[in-house]
Amino acid sequence: MRSWPGNERRDDGPPEYDQSMTERKMRVTVTIDPHLAAYAEQLVEAGQADSVSAVVNSALEARRLRDQRARRLWRDLTAQADPEKAARMKAHVDAQLAALPASHRYR
Amino acid sequence: MSVDEGASPAPVVLDASVLIEAARGDGEIMTLIQGYDAEGRPLLIPVLAVTAAALDTRSEDAEAILYGLERLASSVIVPVQDAEQALALAAVTARTGLDPYDAHAAVIADAEICPILTLDAAKWQEHARDLDEPLHFVEIAEPDGA
Repeated sequence: MRSWPGNERRDDGPPEYDQSMTERKMRVTVTIDPHLAAYAEQLVEAGQADSVSAVVNSALEARRLRDQRARRLWRDLTAQADPEKAARMKAHVDAQLAALPASHRYR
Repeated sequence: MSVDEGASPAPVVLDASVLIEAARGDGEIMTLIQGYDAEGRPLLIPVLAVTAAALDTRSEDAEAILYGLERLASSVIVPVQDAEQALALAAVTARTGLDPYDAHAAVIADAEICPILTLDAAKWQEHARDLDEPLHFVEIAEPDGA
């Protein structure tokens, strides 16, 4: 279930050190598209990655960092917002939504 | 039973003007979006409006904010799915004079029978009757006297 940035947790998630340095690797079985598997193997053969696992690990870490960055921006920018102004804007929008034809208000 | 009882709120389409302000880091707009997300109101986000916002603000932060939109529980990124939809979008663009980013919002609002959330009511006022069914739009603004 997605829980952010609309309903976010207040902590920043895991601590920001390289967990691979402190935790044992976990073995998981994944299924990936053939062209991605071929690309990972190509990276290994070219010496640009130690293993297919390293490629997958790296891609997941990039995804984790991207999620974390987005979560932080949403949290920090909404925290800096003027809550009264935002509430006035929402009330104004709500009033307009309530005035729409029923066909555009409900499902 | 009244219409209100048991009915869920209709979706709203976020147009490019809203996404542009969010991508610029406007905290009040982002708070507003979060508020509707928390209420469970479906937020339809035209993929071309995301493109418009990314083009407006070329930064990693803007991209991260737009990426975060997709992670909202109630958001749905609406693609241009196939050639038929692409051609329909071209037809609406040509017919209305809207740019493709906003034409995509118009096509979605027309198909889903729901309003467009915008910061630019004047633009939609001009084009509200360009389609077979009138478009309905809701402007984000501070009310007069606030």
